[in-house]
Amino acid sequence: MALSITTAMPTSFKVELMKGLHNFTGASNRFKMALFKATASGSGTFGAATTNYSQMGSDELPSATGYTQQGKLLTSVTPVADGTTALTTFSALTWSSSSFTTSGALIYDTGDSNSACAVLSFGGDQTVSSGDFQIQFPTANASSAIIRIA
Amino acid sequence: MMSTVGGVQIGIATTSAVSGRGFTPEELAEHAVNEVISIGNNSHPVIQAQAEAFRDDIRAVMINYLRQAVASNNTTLINRFRDAGHPELVKLLEV
Repeated sequence: MALSITTAMPTSFKVELMKGLHNFTGASNRFKMALFKATASGSGTFGAATTNYSQMGSDELPSATGYTQQGKLLTSVTPVADGTTALTTFSALTWSSSSFTTSGALIYDTGDSNSACAVLSFGGDQTVSSGDFQIQFPTANASSAIIRIA
Repeated sequence: MMSTVGGVQIGIATTSAVSGRGFTPEELAEHAVNEVISIGNNSHPVIQAQAEAFRDDIRAVMINYLRQAVASNNTTLINRFRDAGHPELVKLLEV
């Protein structure tokens, strides 16, 4: 069975927000992004029901050719308000000199036992060969930011 | 009638990949500008035009400084190659 990734905010993350378990304040250096394998190379299902980084298991890209398992630290931007919407975002993240194919990513909180914060589908396989692979986050406003509470 | 709209929402991240090389200053500037400036489709046309002009200006400034950063980093690398006794490697950095 192929890897199935749906862009979603894990339900567990919403509960954890209400428990005050996540701190997105800038420079907290606790959020990481890990990459999934290519669609045909994995078998799990990821989306709103995903709760923890540990669930990626063998569906995470192996450590090789530019990628190291557990992914990279994200630089979070201290949450702000835009109108009546609270939002936060991250700085763009780049894997340099890399060769791999990935179909999605998981943002998780190392400061909260690696709990899942966001599941991102890339809409298909994305391949980089001896080059740079970059994730760009949307503009930090009320209608686009990567994580919003409207 | 009472109604509520809202909730915890997720945005759409995008990916870019280049093979056999790294990103150019022009590509990185485009990524940065898109992250910094968002122009809504429903904005007034005059406001949209002003925003587009501003975005073009910001892009041009970013490209200029990113090119300078690349050139400056190459200067550092050239000195390191020479200090390490490999001046022949300097040619690899010449564009």
